[in-house]
Amino acid sequence: MSLEGRLALVTGGGRGIGRAIALKLASQGSDIIVNFFRHRESAEQTAKDIQALGAKAEAIRANVGDPAKIDEMFDMIGNKFGRLDILINNAASGVGRPAMDVDVKAWEWTMDINARACLLCAQRAAKLMEGRGGKIVSISSLGSPFVLPNYTIVGVSKAALEALTRYLAIELAPQGICVNTVAASAVETEALKFYFKEGLVKDKRQVTPAGRMVIPEDVANVVAFLCSEEAFMIRGQTVVVDGGTSVGLFTLVGKED
Amino acid sequence: MTVEEQIREIVAKITHVDKSVITRESTFKEIKADSLDIVQALVAVEEAFGIEIPDEEAQKFQNFGDFVSYVENRLAQQEKV
Repeated sequence: MSLEGRLALVTGGGRGIGRAIALKLASQGSDIIVNFFRHRESAEQTAKDIQALGAKAEAIRANVGDPAKIDEMFDMIGNKFGRLDILINNAASGVGRPAMDVDVKAWEWTMDINARACLLCAQRAAKLMEGRGGKIVSISSLGSPFVLPNYTIVGVSKAALEALTRYLAIELAPQGICVNTVAASAVETEALKFYFKEGLVKDKRQVTPAGRMVIPEDVANVVAFLCSEEAFMIRGQTVVVDGGTSVGLFTLVGKED
Repeated sequence: MTVEEQIREIVAKITHVDKSVITRESTFKEIKADSLDIVQALVAVEEAFGIEIPDEEAQKFQNFGDFVSYVENRLAQQEKV
């Protein structure tokens, strides 16, 4: 699998899963634009680590929850590079609350970043992929098909993202653009620490049939495959990376924490 | 309007708290600002003053006064440049 000469934009690419994806794509030869919003230091570090792998990288600040900022980011990419081969919709945010406590502000914040941004980025990216094809991969979670405690809005936003993936996959297929999603269970990242604190996740090691928690690199490996030509016939799918957790749910009945 | 007054207005609007109760000593908890309120306040202040406040710095704010001081210092640095 080679991504030599490709240019990829990874939203939320400075930390966690986004960073692992950025490094993996770079290790396969792709140049990377690392988008970040709140954590400049991490993004600049990731860009440096990518450069150390021999690829070109730069960090770009943009709040993907704000359509005007998405436009600014893509205007910059268009002016500077004139093309884009890979879009990774990874940036995510959310407010951990039960459904009865979700207010309009929390709903809009989460949906704008986790779902609407994926549509707006895909619209702009598709134009930069015109005539050359491309890959769009978004990152989802098991909170879409399953109910996780206090995960309401994020789960709903991920369901929207997965549905959007199917629609985009069909609409963009004639342009040679492959659109897919990778859904992970709890992944060992900074975000997970937040979820532990909020009581959203207990120790997942005990419930992963594969015997360990999913790490960012597990997700990045699948994303890199979906960005390769070998995955050309995979369209509109949500590929689950969870060490078997979701298919083994009923084996957990009666099991102690 | 001073920098402090402008930030107080932004925070009051986001948290729906009367701006008269927001003092430099007020903690975010005291003005009932949850994590989303804080991020939205940071973003609004960044846009109002044309600066960037990384989360690494924002996490050090103990109260409203720390937030104001950080912005004031950043603006003073910009003037020097």
